[in-house]
Amino acid sequence: MRTTSAYKWRDAGGLALRYAFLLAWLAVCVMPVVVLVMGSLKDTALFQSIPQVLSLRGFTLENYVRSFQQGNYLHFLRNSMIISFSALFVVLIVCTPMAYGITKLASPKTRNLIVFSVLATRFLPYVVLALPMYLFFARIGIQGTVVGVVLAHLAMQMPFIVWLMLGFFAGIPHEVEEAAVIDGASPFGVFWRICLPMVLPGLNASAILAFIISYNEFLFAFFLAGYDAQPLTVGITRFVGGADVGAQYGVVAAYGTLIILPIIVFALVVNRYIVSGLTQGAVKG
Amino acid sequence: MSSRRHFNPWAFVLPGVIAGVVILGFPVAQALWTSLHRLRLYRLHDQVWVGLENYARLWQDPLFILSVRSTITFTLGCTVLSVIAGLAVASVMSTRGIRGTTAARFFMAFYLVPFVATQVVVGMMGRLYVWEPEYGLVNFVLGLFGADGPMWLISRDTAMGATIVTNAWRLTPLAVLIFYAALATVPEELLESAEVDGAGGWKAFALIKLPLIRYHIGFVSLIQLTSAFREFDTVFALTGGGPGRTTNVLSLLVYNEGISAANLGMANAISFTMLLIVAVISLIYMRLARLGELGQ
Repeated sequence: MRTTSAYKWRDAGGLALRYAFLLAWLAVCVMPVVVLVMGSLKDTALFQSIPQVLSLRGFTLENYVRSFQQGNYLHFLRNSMIISFSALFVVLIVCTPMAYGITKLASPKTRNLIVFSVLATRFLPYVVLALPMYLFFARIGIQGTVVGVVLAHLAMQMPFIVWLMLGFFAGIPHEVEEAAVIDGASPFGVFWRICLPMVLPGLNASAILAFIISYNEFLFAFFLAGYDAQPLTVGITRFVGGADVGAQYGVVAAYGTLIILPIIVFALVVNRYIVSGLTQGAVKG
Repeated sequence: MSSRRHFNPWAFVLPGVIAGVVILGFPVAQALWTSLHRLRLYRLHDQVWVGLENYARLWQDPLFILSVRSTITFTLGCTVLSVIAGLAVASVMSTRGIRGTTAARFFMAFYLVPFVATQVVVGMMGRLYVWEPEYGLVNFVLGLFGADGPMWLISRDTAMGATIVTNAWRLTPLAVLIFYAALATVPEELLESAEVDGAGGWKAFALIKLPLIRYHIGFVSLIQLTSAFREFDTVFALTGGGPGRTTNVLSLLVYNEGISAANLGMANAISFTMLLIVAVISLIYMRLARLGELGQ
C-alpha cells in the first residue's frame, strides 16, 4: 500500500514537471510572436524593455496607419493572395493526378525511379534555381509576372505534395476500386468519383500546406517578381530595407504582424489537417 | 484487370514530369552552362567561355572558404538542435497522462506556430525583439536569472549561434510532429514489460524508444539538413550575412555574387558546387538509411 501511494506521489510530481517543461516550450514557441504583436501597438520611442512592451503604456495604432499608407500593405496583400491561391490550384491539379498515376504504374522499377526523382528535387538549393529561372522566364517573356512565381512554387512544392498524396492514395483498399470497375466505372471515373473523395483529408492537408508555403515564400518572389507582382514577404523588405530599421521598431512590428498573424490564426484553426498532412507517410515509414 | 488495357497511368504522371523537367531541368542546365562562362548581369550578350576557371578561382577565394565553413556550422547546428529539441518535446508529449489529452492537442496546435511563421518576418522579429542586446527577449529572460547576455547578432562570436537558434526554432515543429506520431507506434506492452524488468523512464527511452524510431530520426535529420543547407530567407532578414560575413552562408554568397556583384558566372559556379555537395550528402545519407533497413 505504501509503495503504491509513493508511486502516485512520484507520478504526480513527474507529471507537474513534465507539464512545466511543455509550458516552457509553449512560451519559446509563442513569446517572440506575442512580443512582436504587442510591440506593434506601441509608440516606438517608448521601447525600453520587455515588460513595457507587454504593458498597455504608450498604446497607438500609428504603426498600422503607416503600414497601410506608406507600406502599401493592400497592394502586396492582393499579390500574396493571387500567388498563394494560384499556386495552390496549380499544385493540386498537377500533383494529385501525378501521385495517383504513380501508384498505378505497372513496373515497380519505373515507379521507384519516378518517386525517387521527384523526391530528389526536394534537395535542390532554391538559390541555385532562382537566378537561371529569372533568365529563363525572361527568354519566354514572363519575367516579373505572377506566372513565373507560381511556376517556381509549383516546382518547389511538387516533391512534398506528391509524397504527401502518395501516402493517402496508398491507403485506399484495392477492393474498392475493383468493385467500381466491375460496376462499369471508367478509369477516370474511378479516380474522380471513387478515389478523390476517399483522400479528401489528404487534399485538405495538401491545399492548406501549399497555401501556407506559398504565402510565406520569399526567395523566388524576391528574384522573379516585379513590383506589380510582389507579395507581402517582398513588400516588407522593400518597406523597411535601406532605412535604419532600428529607428522604426514599431512599424516593422506592425507590418510583420499584418503578415504573420493571419497565417498563424489560420494555421491554429486548421491545425488538425497540418498535423495529419505532415505525419502521413513519414510514420508509415 | 480489364481496366488496365484502357487506362494508361502515364497520362496522369506525365504533366507533372514535364512541368518538373521544364521548370527545374532548364534552370539547372543553364546554371551549369553559365558557370563555365564569364558573364556579367548587365551585359548578358557578352558571354565568354572560360571552362572550369570559375571553379578553380572559387577554392582560392577566402570569402568562399569562409562561406563553406559557416554553411557547415549553420547546417549541422540547425539539424542537431532541432532534432534534439524535437525528440525532447515529442517524448515528453508521449508520456502517459499527457498523450491523447485535450492539453496535448492544445500544446501541439501552438507548437506549430514557428513552422507556419513567415521566415522573413521571423528574421526581422529576431533582430528587433528577440536578440536585441538591451531590450530583447533573450537578454530579458537571462536578466531574470541574473545573467548578463552578450551582444548576440552584433558580436562576431555569438551571431552564428543566435542565427542557428533562430532557424532551429523554425525547424523544430516538424521534428516534434513526426517524432510524436512515430512514438505512438511503439507498442505499449513493450514498455510495460520493460518496466517490469526495471527499465523505466530514461532507460526505456534510450534503449527501447530511440532504436524503434531510428528510421524517423534519420528521415527528419535529412529533411532538416537539406532545408538548413539551402536556407536563405531567415538569414537574409536576420543578419544579412553579417557581422563581418560570419553568417554569410552559401545561399547568401550566391546572391551577393550574382546580384550585388553582378558576376553571374561565379554565382552559378557557387550554385553548382552547392548542388554537388547536397547531392553527395543526400546519396550518402540514403545509402546509410538503406543499410540500416537491411540490418533489421
